[in-house]
Amino acid sequence: MAGTIVSDTIQNGAGASTSTTNVINGCAKAWVTVNGTLSSGMTLASYGVSSVTYISSCLYQVSFSTAFTDANYSSAVSSSWDSGGNSYPMIANIANNGTYAPSTTSTYIVSRIYNNGSTGFLVNYLYAIFFR
Amino acid sequence: MTQVIIHTNENGGVSVTVPTGELSIDAVKAKDTPAGSIIVDSSTLPQGSDAKFFDAWILNGSTVSLDLTKAKAFANTMLNGMAKAEVSHRTTNAGIGIENKLSDADWLALLTTARTAISSATTTQQLLDAITPIQTAIADNA
Repeated sequence: MAGTIVSDTIQNGAGASTSTTNVINGCAKAWVTVNGTLSSGMTLASYGVSSVTYISSCLYQVSFSTAFTDANYSSAVSSSWDSGGNSYPMIANIANNGTYAPSTTSTYIVSRIYNNGSTGFLVNYLYAIFFR
Repeated sequence: MTQVIIHTNENGGVSVTVPTGELSIDAVKAKDTPAGSIIVDSSTLPQGSDAKFFDAWILNGSTVSLDLTKAKAFANTMLNGMAKAEVSHRTTNAGIGIENKLSDADWLALLTTARTAISSATTTQQLLDAITPIQTAIADNA
């Protein structure tokens, strides 16, 4: 049965309470875990993410199932070493003069070597989480 | 079998969109990919060592294949990137009195051998094999 509970605070059995705003704003609005390779098959677990696009070995796009109200979401991303045994830092919500700026419907994840015009191998694991 | 959506991107490479399953693949195709994108089974994508050279994939019709010339260029780029980082490491070693595992002459000879192997490679496995001795030498000198 559908319904709505309206409350300013939420309390547990021990009597500790918090504002429902903390619950609403503190929950991840979207996340995705990618495990595997394009050719050998992969497993994706997600919430609020419709797809992950591989653009290059250093550039990935995450698309949201439901658009955010604006592009001011916060994100955290990480990855495994790539299949060649190399490790690169991953950066989300890049701007790059607007070419790969985050939007309400998707954002980009880039590894550091992309900015060097370099190349590498695809990562086997990719993790991203988004808050707003 | 996993179905994915592919299209040629602005860099001339292949973009591969993998649906998470939250929406149907047709909905993802309409929402997340440009017009003209096509749905294929992931098993039709390049396999084995060809799969590792994603940046050298090209799309002809509905078939994704590997461009060996591009793969060679990427192998050289990777090799040069590793070599530059290692030269910095070797220079630091020399500056603080730590002997490098390979002499400068042997290191340069190894690089020359790798570049020659990349140039003459006819398969992506040969490209990977060309890079491996450099990776091993770098790991040994860590």
